[in-house]
Amino acid sequence: MTPVPVHNFSGQTALVLHLSPEIGQRIKDRCDRLGVRALILTDDLETEAARGANTLILDIDTGDDRLLPWPRAAAPMPLIGLIGSESPGRLAWALAQEVDAFIPVSGLGNLFSAMVIAHATFAQKAERRAREADEARRGSGRLDVVRAVLALMEGGRDEALALKQLRTMAMVERISIEEAASRLLSERHRAGGRTG
Amino acid sequence: MTLRLGLIFSTTGSYAALGQSAMAGALGAIETLHRRGAPQIMPVIADPRGDMVAYECMTREMLESGVRHIVGAITSWSRKEMIPLLERHGGLLWYPCPYEGFESNDHVVYLGASPNHHVVPVTDWIATQGMRRAFLIGSNYVWGWETLRLARDGLTARGIEVVGERHVPLGAPTPAHILDEIRDAAPDCVIDSLIGPSNTSFLQGLAAHPDRPPIQVLSFNQSEADLAEIGPAANGLVSAGSFFEANAGDTLCDAARRHAPNGRVSSFFATSFAAVEILSAAVRAAGTDDPATVFRAAAATPAVTAMGIMPIDPVLRHAKLTPRLAIAKDGRFDIVNSAAHPVAADPYMTAQSAGRQRPAPGPHRKLRVVK
Repeated sequence: MTPVPVHNFSGQTALVLHLSPEIGQRIKDRCDRLGVRALILTDDLETEAARGANTLILDIDTGDDRLLPWPRAAAPMPLIGLIGSESPGRLAWALAQEVDAFIPVSGLGNLFSAMVIAHATFAQKAERRAREADEARRGSGRLDVVRAVLALMEGGRDEALALKQLRTMAMVERISIEEAASRLLSERHRAGGRTG
Repeated sequence: MTLRLGLIFSTTGSYAALGQSAMAGALGAIETLHRRGAPQIMPVIADPRGDMVAYECMTREMLESGVRHIVGAITSWSRKEMIPLLERHGGLLWYPCPYEGFESNDHVVYLGASPNHHVVPVTDWIATQGMRRAFLIGSNYVWGWETLRLARDGLTARGIEVVGERHVPLGAPTPAHILDEIRDAAPDCVIDSLIGPSNTSFLQGLAAHPDRPPIQVLSFNQSEADLAEIGPAANGLVSAGSFFEANAGDTLCDAARRHAPNGRVSSFFATSFAAVEILSAAVRAAGTDDPATVFRAAAATPAVTAMGIMPIDPVLRHAKLTPRLAIAKDGRFDIVNSAAHPVAADPYMTAQSAGRQRPAPGPHRKLRVVK
């Protein structure tokens, strides 16, 4: 059974960054139907306003990195891009910002779908970033594993036995082998030599 | 000014009984309003025969001929076929059927029950009966998929195990192996979101199954429109709805006798009847048949209909309805549970997140008929 994405946004807040009061009002009407409070902004987004908001709905036609109080592609909430002109340059800006879902201004009736997709995409991105950070950390720990194995071999063990000992330490401590290696090396460093 | 009103219902085809009931309700209302001296309404009738392509063609023809208001569509599939055309031509659909929610289109008025009117009362009721195991079966399209998904969510949240789920193609009879599977799974209840011949064959097959202690069947939309077709196999079925024949007064009963092929009031009949009443009053109040103006008038002043007062939410475009549960017995429904007041529709189920209270599971209780 496919898991159902988050689809209940009741009680949440959406920031709407659009210069047209008419479109802002239409988005607010759609948000009302979903139980979402819409705050319509016509100026730069302040960090204070962004705090506590759950979604940002923004006009791609007038979008600019300087409008947003975070580095490019580092939004702390899901972004929904409103497509107006369809010019490739504007779409390029939105893609570079890693907008999570798109909706044409003429299709605001489907805002619910855009909300579901944006929140699911945002969650997937966060998951992927965490996984990549973890992999990078593990990658950088491989050298520590080699060093730890060599250190353990100083006692006359062969490399297979040294690696087995490191694995056992990791298993007992319930940590990764990279973490066990790093811990072993720092303990030895503190002790100024062999500890066991 | 004569209002040309489109009526698009499949009065032939696989779910003809529902279409006939809804069509009869609309025609009954037109006749009743005429007798009351209301402005003339001229019905423009189309029968798409349950064929999705025909819905599109007939809706287009109707809108291109200048019709601006339509009462119609039974299935969500057909409604979704009609919506792009309504958007293009600026038409308004008065939709009189229960549906699965998650929609609020600016060219539709939703007068039938939403999931908080049917799925929630049914899952609440199952929990209060102390049932622990449920099997889900539905027609293989959006109504079946989404109502059963909501049912699964609601049941799981109430600690009830879903022991199986099957879908049957729209219009096909329910195959015997599914009946065997249900018996093997030994559920306390089956939630039935089948429509048309799939539903009839399912209920008859389940009742006739040789290896049987009875299983409680529950439906979100079974009505009097096709209850008699099912026969004694429907006895004991619990259905949720916004209206049953037992709720009908003389106006609806008279109209059903004159217009419905089976002479019965159903939620489809009553809601179509009410749709025409609301539309007629709103056109009169607005002084125009412009759909947006008519909708604003309908939402501004709730019409008194044969179903009672039906306020329409101006934002969500859904009617407030009274959720009811009824049990089938010998071709009729006895009401066993009724909300004290009409309840606002919650098509996006926004009330479901905020830690709604779980009804405490209790011992098996017998259904009590509300007089």
